This record gives sequence, C-alpha cells and structure tokens, in this order.
Amino acid sequence: MPGPLVERVSLEFEAQEAWPKDVKLFQPYEIEQILLPDNANCLAVQALLKMCNLDFTVEFRANAEAMSPSGKVPFIKVGRFVIAELEGIVQFINGKGISLTDKLDIEEKADLRAYMALVRNVIENAELFICWIDHETYNDVTSIRNGSVYPWPLNHFRNREKRNQVIKKLKVLDWYNKTLPEVHEEMANCCEALSVRLDQNSFFFGDKPTELDALVFGHLFTILTTPLPRNDLANIVRNYPSLINLVKRVETKYFNREDGKNI
Amino acid sequence: MGTVHAKAPTQTASNISDFAKQSGLKQESETTDIKEIDLQMVQARVDRVNVDGLARTKNDIVEDCVQDLFKAHDFQDVLLKAHKAVVKLDELGCFKNIGVYIDTSKGLNATTDGLEVTFEVTEYKRITGGINTQVGNNEGSILFAMRAPNLFGRGERVQTEYTRGSKKTSNFNLSFIKPFRGKHRPSLRTSILQAHSEWPNSGYKQLERGVQLDFGFYSSSLFKHNLQWEGIIRDLSTLSRTASFEVREQSGSTLKSSLKHILSMDIRDDLIFPSYGSLIEITSELAGLGGNIGFLKNELFFQDNYSLLDDIVVQTSFSAGYMLPMNKDKKITIADKCYIGGPLSIRGFQTRGVGPHVDGDALGSTAYWAAGLHLFTPLPFRPGRGGFGELFRTHFFLNAGNVGDFSLEKMSKGDILETLQKNIRVSYGLGIALRLGSMARVEVNYCFPYKFDKGDQTHPGVQFGIGVHFL
Repeated sequence: MPGPLVERVSLEFEAQEAWPKDVKLFQPYEIEQILLPDNANCLAVQALLKMCNLDFTVEFRANAEAMSPSGKVPFIKVGRFVIAELEGIVQFINGKGISLTDKLDIEEKADLRAYMALVRNVIENAELFICWIDHETYNDVTSIRNGSVYPWPLNHFRNREKRNQVIKKLKVLDWYNKTLPEVHEEMANCCEALSVRLDQNSFFFGDKPTELDALVFGHLFTILTTPLPRNDLANIVRNYPSLINLVKRVETKYFNREDGKNI
Repeated sequence: MGTVHAKAPTQTASNISDFAKQSGLKQESETTDIKEIDLQMVQARVDRVNVDGLARTKNDIVEDCVQDLFKAHDFQDVLLKAHKAVVKLDELGCFKNIGVYIDTSKGLNATTDGLEVTFEVTEYKRITGGINTQVGNNEGSILFAMRAPNLFGRGERVQTEYTRGSKKTSNFNLSFIKPFRGKHRPSLRTSILQAHSEWPNSGYKQLERGVQLDFGFYSSSLFKHNLQWEGIIRDLSTLSRTASFEVREQSGSTLKSSLKHILSMDIRDDLIFPSYGSLIEITSELAGLGGNIGFLKNELFFQDNYSLLDDIVVQTSFSAGYMLPMNKDKKITIADKCYIGGPLSIRGFQTRGVGPHVDGDALGSTAYWAAGLHLFTPLPFRPGRGGFGELFRTHFFLNAGNVGDFSLEKMSKGDILETLQKNIRVSYGLGIALRLGSMARVEVNYCFPYKFDKGDQTHPGVQFGIGVHFL
C-alpha cells in the first residue's frame, strides 16, 4: 500500500490532468424518485458541464444522495475524485484551467456570486418549502417519490428523517414560519431582480453563459416543467418573459431539445 | 452459586467429605468420630422442602425447580438433586444468593428416613445496575447496564445496556426477557437495539437500528437452539472522503429482515484454555422476508481439543460459510459479506485482510473456509507454576483458509471446490496467550504469512489479538 504522501502526490498529478473520458454524473432516478430541488440542482450541473463543453454520462442511482460526499446531489466522479454540488464542481473545473467567468472583471464576479446566493437563498428555499412544508405537495408527491426506492416501513422513516432535516434547515434560514403568500412574494421579488439583471442580454453577463445561467436554468426549467398539485411557482416565473426566453435559449443550445416545447 | 450444608446424626455421617469433594460441594461441619459409609446405601426420603426468603417470586416456578427432590431414594440422591435444584434456581435469574440446608425432619408427619431440605434465597433488588469493562472482537469496551430483574415474579426481566468501545463502536439495547417453564427451558427475548460500528479495514461505518426477537430452547441437555427474527435499518456510509468508490456505491439506508437459526453445543471444560471437549456452532440466516436485503447465509464453526500430555493441548478449529443471493430485487451489501483474516481469524493477515481489496478497502466475499491447528503448552521452564503461570500458555499455530465468490448460476459444484482450493492462504507462528478473567484471551504472536494472494493485506511479525472467539 502506498503511503499517504505518495497517494496525495499522485492525486495532485491526477488533478492537473485534462478532462478524462469516463466522467460520470450521479443523480437519483428522474422518473420516479427525484424531487424538484434536487432535480433543479442536477440540471444546473448538467447545464454547466455542457456550457464548458465537457463530456460526461449521467448515472442514475437510488442512493445517489447517500453516496455524495456532501450528502447532496448531484456529484461527479472524475478519475478518483468525487465532487459534489455546483459550487464545488465549478471550483474543480477552474482548477483544470476551464472557466466560464475568466472574461469578467472583479465587480462582475462579485455580482455573479451575489446572484448565485440569491437563487440559492430564495428559489431553492421556495422549492423546499413547497415540496416538504406544503401538506398537499408533501402528501401527494414528495413523500411518495422520496420513499419510492425504499421498502416499507423504511420509506416512512426516511421521509420523516429527510423532512426533519429540511425543516431544521428552513428554520435556521427563517423560512419555516413563512406563509404561502409570503413565499410567493419572495419568489416574485427574486425573479424580478433576475430579470432586471438579465435585461435584454442573451445571458446574465453578456453573450456568454456563466454558472449563474446554469443555476437559473436548472431551477426555472424544473419549476416550469415539473407537474405538482400547486403550480403557483411556475405561474410566477411565467410573468417574466425574459427569464423564460433565457431558459429556452439554454435548452435549445445545450440540450438540443426542440424549442421549449414543454414550457 | 449456592452452598450445600449437610448435617447428619453420627451413625449416618460418613464419607460426605469425599462426596463433597467429588461433586464440588462445600462441606462445613466435620466431626472427628465419623464412620465411613456408602451414601447410596443410606435410605432417605425428603419429607419437606422449605424455601425461605421469597417475596416477589411466584411459588409455581420455584416448585418446578425443587420438585425433583421428592423423588430421591437415598442420601446421595438427595444431595445431587439439591445441587441441581440450586442450579435451576440460579438460572431463573431471580436470586442473588442461594443456600441449602438439609436436616432430619421432625414433627408429627415425619417418617423414619425423612429429611427436610431448606433453601435460603436472597432475591435481587427491584433495580440493579453496574459499570463493567468488556472485551469483544479485538477491542475493549465499557458497559453501563441497568436491570430490573424478576419483574412480575416469574423471572421476567427488563435490561438496558450501553457499551462504548475503544474503536468508536457504541451499542445500546433495551430488552425484555421472559423464561418459560418446561423441560426444554424455553425463553423469549425481545430487544430494541441501536449499534454504531466503524470498519476502517473496509472503509465504512454503519448505524443499525432495529428490533430483534429471540426464542431460545434446548433440544437436549447439550444442544442449544436460538430462533431469531430481526428487522434492522442500516445506514451505511464511507469513513473518509478517500474511501474507494466501490464502498461509496454501497452507502445509503437498507432494511434487513431476516430469520436466523443458531445451533450450538459446547462441551469444552473451559472457555479460554480448554483441555478437552469440542464446540460446534451452526448459523443459518435467511434475509429477505420484507426489506430490500436478500441472502441465504450458512456458517459453521467447529473446535476440538485434545490433551496430549497433562497440559499440552492440541486444538483444531475449522470455520466455513457461504452465502447466496435471494433474487435480483434484493441486495447484498458490503456489511453482509464474509471476511476472514486478522488476529482472531487467520493470523499473519490484517483484519479482513484475506480476499479482494480496492484502494485498501476489503470488500468481502461470499464463501470462505478457515482452519487452525494449535499447540498450547505451559510456559517454558514453567515459572509461577500452579499460580500466576497458569494464566499463560505458549502457543504454536498454523492457520489456513481461502475465500471465493460464487453464484450458483455461473458455476457448477466442481468450480466452487476449485475456487476454494486454489490460492490457499497459509500462515504460521508462535506466541504467548494470556487468560483475561474467565471470558477473554489475549494473544501476542509472531506471525509468518507463508502463502498469500497479491490482493491480500498481510501482517508479518508481531500481532496482538484480544477477544472471545478465536479461530
């Protein structure tokens, strides 16, 4: 067995290598298992990798969440590395000399980080709120899908455990006690801010996409296309045609799908 | 345990002391003018049995234990049956202390050969507890226990235990135990348990939470059976970020629902350094009645001891096991697999060191066999003979074993044998074994791995082992 130092050195060499061919992105099953917030994040990472023109294949695993080093989906496996979530993956890619933001100046980069945080803090929390706190959605969709990969009675345990985790998180962020109209208002404000920033550009920062475009695409596309008992989030997003256009643009350009047929 | 006190008039008092020595009973009063008599020739019958000190314990279970005494015909029989009754009373788990007094019976209904047997018992308090140290599989642990013995007066008890080990394991269990009456000595145990364990050799940790039902009984005086059902939720996760992807793939929650049958027979004269007798343990586990884990696993452990000279003992041991998948929908995880190697198994290898490894993580296999040939002798030149030196043994060993993976669809029977015969691992060595209390053994060995596969992790040189169950 090689010593830890040798291992670390070899890992570092590996890290500097070019993008290997067998990169895999792990995520939960799309049709029966994945939930809205997870799906949004998985799609965002897929969009990011496609924007960077990096090859990967998607692997579906029921236990993708447990496999992930951060406990969140998606994660990618590059050689011996496993890297989770959009921010981590962006950093990893930057380490390989690939970046979507190298043309931006410092001010723009700060803006980008701020808008990324806004999406994370508002849209993602709104999605979590709808999926786990709203009783109708939880009972009709979330609990069934989240528990679908577990046998009875493990599904109930897992649902309760996961729901408690989400509640804890939302409590810390002061979202748990919000009412539905308040959530809608937050969501509308966030979309407003995003559409103001986007203005008439094709992407948020000029004519080249950045990770912000990937993140916004992931969330908005998923919100628009996921059938839920209440589609109020989708209705809010539909009030912002410039955002809808951005989603369509990314979809046609990077996912080679027909012009936004689902939206 | 208890003490048997015997008083008899001078004409019958006799070679009681001889008998007492044979049967391990303690004899208290000794008078100088005793004549030698054969106890079997002394006619006796038990007129009365008194049990003193019963408070919560119900009469019926105590009656069951002492009833046999009335069948005794001679004095020796009375003594033996009294001793058996003490053992049975002790097994109830209700009494802290049991004493026996035998006297000639007096009063109106007394017969000429009549005896009166009195058991003096002290019941346990409502709640007892304690802190102990324990030795498990190559790790020491501390045990906090609380018991409520004899809850409803028939030996029922509730106990809760928490153990914390030196290797970051922790266990909690709460059980209710109910012994039943009957000649097969059945008992039922239901427990709720939570166990956390870490397996650095395989790169994973596991949290198990679940329920267990255990029904134990004896089919004869030697064969002990345990029928168990357990429903356990297991959360498996990697120990570190650098764990191999093969282990990472197994992370997540699984539910195992399994039926288990354990048959054991132990006729060794000692648990730690037996000089004769054998031990057999056969375990069959069928997982997959509900849950998403499915396999059939059979394991066998056999140990035989043969004393060459006074205290030079040859010990042979053999263990083998295999598991089969149930069907495609049910999984087998890394935690269900079989592992061999280590100071308690095939010495000269790392723990779980025999078999397939990826990035240093042992992945386990579905079939194995392992055997050991040991020679235990006293220390050279026998320092501390008869005292301290008896805690030690010199230990020579030869271990062999192999692992294999097979599925019935892919292989015929011949192939299985071939896989298990190929790449046999052999190690040998010598060392010193130490008895630790009456439960555990410590071994310090110098090992020479002789034959090994390139995927194995060997551990040549000094190896330290502490545990209960050694190969």
